[in-house]
Amino acid sequence: MNMASLTAPKHYSLPTFLRPQSPKYPSHYPLLSTSSASQFCGLKLSFSTPNANAASPLLLPSVFAKVSKGSKPPPFTLKDQDGKTVSLSKFKGKPVVVYFYPADETPGCTKQACAFRDSYEKFKKAGAEVVGISGDDPSSHKAFATKYRLPFTLLSDEGNKVRKQWGVPGDFFGALPGRETYVLDKNGVVQLVYNNQFQPEKHIDETLKLLQG
Amino acid sequence: MGESLKGAVDMHMLMEPIFAGWIGYILADLGSGVYHWGIDNYGDGSTPFFGSQIEAFQGHHKWPWTITRRQFSNNLHALARAITFSVLPINLLCHDPVVQSFVGVFAGCIMFSQQFHAWAHGTKSRLPPAVVALQEAGVLVSRSQHSAHHRPPYNNNYCIVSGLWNEFLDKNKVFEAMEMVLYFKLGVRPRSWSEPESEWMEEIDMAS
Repeated sequence: MNMASLTAPKHYSLPTFLRPQSPKYPSHYPLLSTSSASQFCGLKLSFSTPNANAASPLLLPSVFAKVSKGSKPPPFTLKDQDGKTVSLSKFKGKPVVVYFYPADETPGCTKQACAFRDSYEKFKKAGAEVVGISGDDPSSHKAFATKYRLPFTLLSDEGNKVRKQWGVPGDFFGALPGRETYVLDKNGVVQLVYNNQFQPEKHIDETLKLLQG
Repeated sequence: MGESLKGAVDMHMLMEPIFAGWIGYILADLGSGVYHWGIDNYGDGSTPFFGSQIEAFQGHHKWPWTITRRQFSNNLHALARAITFSVLPINLLCHDPVVQSFVGVFAGCIMFSQQFHAWAHGTKSRLPPAVVALQEAGVLVSRSQHSAHHRPPYNNNYCIVSGLWNEFLDKNKVFEAMEMVLYFKLGVRPRSWSEPESEWMEEIDMAS
């Protein structure tokens, strides 16, 4: 089980035919956290659910279908590092790499951002755009982007609403926001979901592999 | 330790206390790493109870070689005091040889860890051959492993008893994970995330 191991957790989303097309109640109930969990047949609980009570598995006030390969993610409109609003729909017509990361100015996230920066030309050559999303505010993004000369858009998902909507799983029972990257094709359909908390540069390798392949 | 040995002989069991002692040795290394990581990354001179230790550790990072100039008891007395206060009650209350073996070895390793650490800063030519042999055998933390800790970004190789946990902990980014969790839960950034302040960086002294 990825949550308990100390090696870099990686989960690939379930193939489409295994993933339920509409939300339904799970057959088993997680004993621990209420954070989203990919081992949970593609469903997640809303964060507003009170703590897991194994005795009453049917108390699920709201269930979102997690974004996975083959699905169209819910649209969002967020502010970028310059305070401008950016919608997901803006990127329709070209592939886009949407990467969720824990926080600006932390070692892993810095490595990841710099790796995207250093390979940015390759992404552009493949016709793709790169967008980073974390819960930090626009001014934090601005400082982060300036310090590391990041050429792409960073969006502020304040309150982590989009993260929850998309079902990005957390690590260590939700103690740490997960590091998950989605590649959307030019029609806005997810073609790759890659999760790896502690080897951030791998996100670049995996997404480029798909875009260039 | 003596009581453990006698108890073991009396009860005709030897393997369990030996095993427990070995576990104590293993866990002492892990404990030294976690403690060292905490002191190196969090708090400062004004932190209650730990403040002076934190400053001492930072001073050590600035002038690492001075540890080799300190006398044996100077290296050990602070730890010995802590060990006495924690081990003595256990010794008085518990007579199980397995427990005593574990506690004895664990506490002994912790007490001597500062000396092992000092030896890890020594040069091969000036260390007793037995010490060098133990370092090379991996029984005591090696000089090369520990010197990796003294290079930027100062965020690895924290264990200083045998160092056997270092590779596992660093490879699996255990401390990085703990730092991230603490950052998200408590909002505290560890020192190793920032460029080291000049007071903390090693002063290169041509004479040493």
